[in-house]
Amino acid sequence: MDIALATLLSPIVLFFLLGLAAALLKSQMTIPEAFAKGLAIYLMMSIGLKGGVEISKGDLGWDAGAVMISAVALSFLLPLIAYSLLRLTTRLNEIDAAATAAHYGSISIVTFVAAGQAINAAGLQTSGYLVAVAALMEVPAIISALIIANRGQAKSGSVAGSERGELAREVLLNASVVVLLGSLVIGWISGEQGMQRVAPFFVDPFQGVLCLFLLDMGLSAGRGLRNGWRQLGPGTIAFGLYMPIISAILAAGVAFLNGMSAGDAALLITLAASASYIAVPAAMRLALPKAKPSIYLTLSLGITFPFNLILGLPIYIWLARAVSPGAV
Amino acid sequence: MHTRLRLELIIERMAAKRACSVLEAAGLTGYTVLPAISGFGGATRWNRDTDMSASSDMVVIISIGADSQIRAALTELEGLLGSHIGVLTVGEVQVLRPHRF
Repeated sequence: MDIALATLLSPIVLFFLLGLAAALLKSQMTIPEAFAKGLAIYLMMSIGLKGGVEISKGDLGWDAGAVMISAVALSFLLPLIAYSLLRLTTRLNEIDAAATAAHYGSISIVTFVAAGQAINAAGLQTSGYLVAVAALMEVPAIISALIIANRGQAKSGSVAGSERGELAREVLLNASVVVLLGSLVIGWISGEQGMQRVAPFFVDPFQGVLCLFLLDMGLSAGRGLRNGWRQLGPGTIAFGLYMPIISAILAAGVAFLNGMSAGDAALLITLAASASYIAVPAAMRLALPKAKPSIYLTLSLGITFPFNLILGLPIYIWLARAVSPGAV
Repeated sequence: MHTRLRLELIIERMAAKRACSVLEAAGLTGYTVLPAISGFGGATRWNRDTDMSASSDMVVIISIGADSQIRAALTELEGLLGSHIGVLTVGEVQVLRPHRF
């Protein structure tokens, strides 16, 4: 209960709620698009560097490799579950269901960053290699969703041959993958000494920048919800709330099998429970242009992201403690 | 003044690169791509600032050319609009320097 309250009353969640409320009340407040993108790159560079420095201290072993393989397998599997549930419980057609499923197999890096803060506040430690796990979990879900969409009737709505190269670039070289993995390698090479030189920029202002970014995310989520809520039926909204829990339970199983620490397990669970709204929408516009962005974007950004940030994180930390050996 | 055709294509950003390739293949000597701020269509209201991925952003592509060049581009662009969100219009315009189009 303390963790739930601490998460809810943390500055990042409160700034998110401020942005959400402002957008729902039709406030004219905006954060310039280019500035918001700069903030996102800053946050990814910062967590990539920190993760790389942790790895340079000898954090990467066979256990980390096993977690990475398990996480990739989970990211392949989640869209299949999400697609089946969407087809069973909602009126979404095959293409919309496949595109939405891709979002729920991939990850949200902002939720990952916010989870890192909540996990540290709960007194748990996390490992640097989880940043690499985050980057690795971006892509497999997109491949799974395309395989689903390329069966049967959905085939006509899938990517045209001439766009395949562009799609591969968008998926494999999107900003999250390039910046996260690039910063991770830079942090690993430069180590603790290198980090000390850039710490005044990448460590000290991190919390403040995260608040600013979450304010913008609140505005984006609120405006997306305001514009797109009519596209979502009750079954679809319910999916946006229960799918993260299903993903979290499966990830908790993976964490248990790998004997992960409570902090690492909480991060993995959060990654699995989060839904993408940066990398996957771009890939889906290229790969499945007939899928409606007003459904999958509104659902992942307007329903699942706020749920994870406000209610999900304390649940995931509790779940991680329950499945981790020796955790209190 | 000389008569030419002006093609105006409002299309989602993710398909803009392909649309520009079509214009180049049709022999059009130039085009301009402008960002669209917001709009309404298909019962959905959209704004540039609601999507972090910018995948829902729309752009406006304007090109002026001879009748034969514009018509050569239309068939391919029609195919593109079959799968991507967009609106295409063509109209007559008067140009001062015909050799540039």
